[in-house]
Amino acid sequence: MIDQKIDPITFELFKNAIFSIADEMALTVFRTTYSAVLKDNMDYSTGFADGAGRLAAQGLTLPGHLGSTPTAMASIMRHFEGNINEGDVFIMNDPFDGGMHLPDIFVMQPLFHKGERLAFACTVCHHTDVGGRVAGSNASDSTEIYAEGLRIAPMKLYDAGKLNDTIMTFIEKNVRVPVMVQGDLRAQLAACHIAEKQFAELVDRYGPEMTKAMLNETIDYAERLTRAALKELPDGEWSFEDWIDDDGIDIDQPIRLFVTIRKTGDSMMVDWTGTAPQVRGAINNTLSYTKSASYTGIRSVLPQNIPNNEGVFRAIEVVCPPGTVGNGELPAACAARGLTGFRMVDCMFGALAMMLPDKVKAAGDGGNTGISVGGYDADRNPFVYVDFTCGSWGARPWADGLDGNSHMFANMALPSVEVTEAEQPISILAYEFMPDRAGAGLYRGGVPFHRDYRLEADEATLQVRADRHTVQPFGLYGGSPGAPSENWSNPHLGDKAEPLHSKPTMMFRKGDVFRHIHAGGGGWGDPLEREPAAVMRDVRNEFLSAEKAVADYGVVMDTETWTIDAAATSQRREEIRNKRNWSKVPTVQRGQSPTKSSPTTEAVEVRETS
Amino acid sequence: MTTENRFRVGVDIGGTFTDIVLLGDDGTLHTKKIPSSTGDYATAIVDGLADVFAGTGLTGTGIDEIRHGTTVASNAILEGKGARVGLITTAGFRDVLELRTLRMPRLYDMAWQKPPPLVERYLRRTVKERIRASGEIETPLDMDDARAQVRALVDEKVEAIAVCLINAFTNPAHELMIKAAIEEIAPDLINCISYEVLPEIKEYERTSTTVINAYVMPIVATYLKALRVGLENADTPAPLLLMQSNGGLTTDRAAADRPINIIESGPAGGVIGAQAIANTKNLDKIITFDMGGTTAKASMVENGSVMRAQEYAVGAGIMIGSRLLSGAGYTLKVPAIDLAEVGAGGGSLVQIDGGGAMQVGPHSAGAIPGPVCYGNGGETVTVTDANIVLGILNPQHLVGGALKLDAERARTAFKAQVAEPLKLSLEDAAHGAFRIAASNMIRAIRAVSSERGRDPREFTLFAFGGNGPLFACEMAATLGMQRVVVPPSPGLFSSFGLLYADLEHHYSRTLRRVTSEADPAEIEAAWAKLEAQARSQLAADGLGPDAMHVRRSVALHYKGQSFDLVVQAPDGPIDAAYLEGLAEAFGAEHERMYGHRAGPEEPVELVSIQALGIGMRDTGGVPDRVIPSRPEPEPGPPRKVYFGREHGWHETPILRRSDLSSAQTGPCIIEEYDATCVVPPAATATLDAGGNIVIQLG
Repeated sequence: MIDQKIDPITFELFKNAIFSIADEMALTVFRTTYSAVLKDNMDYSTGFADGAGRLAAQGLTLPGHLGSTPTAMASIMRHFEGNINEGDVFIMNDPFDGGMHLPDIFVMQPLFHKGERLAFACTVCHHTDVGGRVAGSNASDSTEIYAEGLRIAPMKLYDAGKLNDTIMTFIEKNVRVPVMVQGDLRAQLAACHIAEKQFAELVDRYGPEMTKAMLNETIDYAERLTRAALKELPDGEWSFEDWIDDDGIDIDQPIRLFVTIRKTGDSMMVDWTGTAPQVRGAINNTLSYTKSASYTGIRSVLPQNIPNNEGVFRAIEVVCPPGTVGNGELPAACAARGLTGFRMVDCMFGALAMMLPDKVKAAGDGGNTGISVGGYDADRNPFVYVDFTCGSWGARPWADGLDGNSHMFANMALPSVEVTEAEQPISILAYEFMPDRAGAGLYRGGVPFHRDYRLEADEATLQVRADRHTVQPFGLYGGSPGAPSENWSNPHLGDKAEPLHSKPTMMFRKGDVFRHIHAGGGGWGDPLEREPAAVMRDVRNEFLSAEKAVADYGVVMDTETWTIDAAATSQRREEIRNKRNWSKVPTVQRGQSPTKSSPTTEAVEVRETS
Repeated sequence: MTTENRFRVGVDIGGTFTDIVLLGDDGTLHTKKIPSSTGDYATAIVDGLADVFAGTGLTGTGIDEIRHGTTVASNAILEGKGARVGLITTAGFRDVLELRTLRMPRLYDMAWQKPPPLVERYLRRTVKERIRASGEIETPLDMDDARAQVRALVDEKVEAIAVCLINAFTNPAHELMIKAAIEEIAPDLINCISYEVLPEIKEYERTSTTVINAYVMPIVATYLKALRVGLENADTPAPLLLMQSNGGLTTDRAAADRPINIIESGPAGGVIGAQAIANTKNLDKIITFDMGGTTAKASMVENGSVMRAQEYAVGAGIMIGSRLLSGAGYTLKVPAIDLAEVGAGGGSLVQIDGGGAMQVGPHSAGAIPGPVCYGNGGETVTVTDANIVLGILNPQHLVGGALKLDAERARTAFKAQVAEPLKLSLEDAAHGAFRIAASNMIRAIRAVSSERGRDPREFTLFAFGGNGPLFACEMAATLGMQRVVVPPSPGLFSSFGLLYADLEHHYSRTLRRVTSEADPAEIEAAWAKLEAQARSQLAADGLGPDAMHVRRSVALHYKGQSFDLVVQAPDGPIDAAYLEGLAEAFGAEHERMYGHRAGPEEPVELVSIQALGIGMRDTGGVPDRVIPSRPEPEPGPPRKVYFGREHGWHETPILRRSDLSSAQTGPCIIEEYDATCVVPPAATATLDAGGNIVIQLG
């Protein structure tokens, strides 16, 4: 199958070498960055494209960037083909010209051998701040791109080896933390430099012609693996819909996500036609980000060993009409589009679960909740605290949903409570699982946690990007939906505790407490078929109350002796069965509908083609 | 055997074999390999020693000390067979242990399972109390509440209680009250208090470390006691010293108190041995490469020092070429020799994937069924089968003769499974597997060198383990390294290396202060306390003041950075200039590691201070030349070996190590009892004064 001119052993060694370069670029960024966003959230990617700009290898970092590099490379080629020279380095962040959202700055360097362009080193990093109206440049309540920060068109940061100081000066004067942003740009340049050095060694070993042929073969190889894997999946068409609560501007206006996947032979089409028009709030995706979400969904049902490159994307076509929340047009605000990306991955899981009922999980908490607290101390020094947390997975057809584990789309780590308290004017009063919120099922959804934050500074702006507040995480094949997320102001004050909507921006004063409770994961399969011992274990661990064990699972137990009353359990299960009176097992259960205009439980169209 | 000759013993328990070496002060070396009887390691060791005694006429009283690397603690964790532990934490933080850092080690893996917490939720109880980051008490602990939680755990029949409260690293008052409650209610119960185990910031790392200490403590204590009793019964009263994860020794008593220090005891011996040999040869830059049947490990020794990681995860599995994907295993924040590991060994499977490319590993045939050539039912060809096809391994049997091989079977299978589908000749297919295996292992070497800003070409490759010397030259050549060193008894080097180690005790505590604003007196006092701890432990180990050395080190970062670097700190009184010196040393290390440093206006923050107590035992050191008591095997006849398309087949002489006393030009193969060393065409191999094979690549 491998190109006959290329010896398979040499190819494997070459492939190892270029993925090792992409990984080493990623490690270089990881080692040299200052910023916690890059370290803890791994919100960056590195890659390696051939001379024509086609992605040949992507480092192991953020799935959310899967679709980004090809789009960014295409923009550079469109603007500069014919004018790409040795010593050039390109920079760009414009979402409407190849970028994703403004904090993601791309830096790319063409690599030459004896005057011939053979490859590009590509990096993209989420920068801590790129200016705009809210610190962190992440606000979900901006309504146009112009409020979100510095927009950098595709330009040459270095022209034939010479730094363009004008660009650096513009950046320096327009961001809140110039030392950190410039440090992270240096990390990106360092990664490109590593790639340049190691690629030169590779070309020395294999020669330019063989290098070109093998870069090409690397892409073809990934395409072959992808097509071989897709061939194993059933042909047909499946659709799924879900809703984002709202965009934080037009409160309680649900935003529809609708996807159709068509699988024919060895290729797949992902079509987002039917998804809501773009919104005023800053949660509009670029098409490249919608592609990342689509690929992430599909990759999770394909074998693990397929390399990340353009070959994979050749077999998977992604369509999303312009002017929708999945493909925003100027002046769509997009800083907080992470939310839409996460929810699109979950929507993909829904569609894939229709295609492969025993392979795909129910909905989890909907991706991460972003919390930022910013203000100035008595000496007018700014402080910005940002955290992103998520944790409850939907149940799998073979196992419970994970409790306290990152969403697949962004593999972040949460910084320590003690470090936060040592460095920020914030106390974390609780960080703990909440019982009775996971969706019931043969396999239950993940148990969510809550976090309580208390402000220790005089005042600050609190800004929250949460979701799944009105639209619950769906359960599958008889599994119940997970409980919705909640936001509270001062939950410790009893009557004065105030519930908040999902995306508040508000003043926060010394001693105020904010609580976020994540949504629980959706369940999978009929709860009445769950092992009573597994139910009892959850009760013993206080993930589930004894009352809910009876109500949801029909399991009756003695919590003194930790024994199950088998007779009472089968009687109770029979009563529940009779009462619910299922004519067939419900494919999708969504709980309460957010508004009248939203869909019913059975909103799924399943059409099988033969 | 003369009575004057005193012996020291090194014992290393590996996955399949337990290796025992006995070294006399005249350089005599006895070795013994016995199967690791997993049920009862202590008995296996005592019986193994008895065998050596019987064969040599030695007696237990002729043994000065026994040094031991053991996997007993890590196995307890991996197999989930530790103690039933209860955990007491601050109200609101019951789930720190289970939430971990939220990160997972694999992308796109819908089937990922988190490692189950070592303390299940119903055995985790909370107390109402709160200490602020400053150490100030916000909510005082109620002693009755503490007692009630302890009683509840005692009622659950826990075997140990761990305590870790939020911000206790700044103020241990509440943890000490709970400790008092435990001692009052259940005086015989093991208790582990986070402030005593690891007084450092970061609640997850501290909780996890404290819990692991409690979890393995009973099993380690029982094991060490059984070993001690066994040795006494065999009239071997010699002191027992344990290898720690950091490469230093500790006494059996100290190990029983702080078993977290001996979790990664196993692989440390070889690295320490390599370090010592590198020092005698004035090699300031070596990369160690240890390859056995299932895994290959690399580490770096630079300017005489091993690299240490400040934190690692037990049972995190095998690094997949990237250190970015953390989140697996059980986190331990204690210093350990920094090793990079890949799942590659003789048993790694050779297969063709759906895209038509040849893959070697990560799956392994293991010991059972093993490679096809073992004839034990293995169907899929492995790296060892490739080495048989190439003629690198003796086609009749592995040296030592215990294991007969079926070369024809390996050839037939390799042809059908690999060569024919790829349209390659049999030898080119096998050589391809050999090179791909080497290229996979090169990732481990890159992880400890180029990924840390070091150029591997400046290093010597120090190879051991049963398969290390077989692959070393191929890997060195690919990386542009010039020299390979293979020590004597390479297959037993992990136990032999134990004999080079010193006693070491490591203490640290978090102390966050900006260097330019810190009070030198406060830092001096805190450091003095750690140094006193180190000295008192060394004194308890039986060392006099002259044999003690205490060294300082310190973790620092630029204020606001989310990661630290550790640098050595000089002795002497601490004043503002001293602290400025630390900031400068940090800046220099930052530049070296990361290629840049911040300007002088950027504040440098001290994160934690550390003291390392080193005890030089008068029994330390290894003679320049060791004399193995086992006779060298008779070398077999020359055989045809395939060295790739460039060099083709060569009629290759099979040599003994001693044949290299005059330099030999490759190709040649050195067959020893426990390893096979390949010298490729154009390389030159010779023996140095210490009996090490030194290969200079052409």
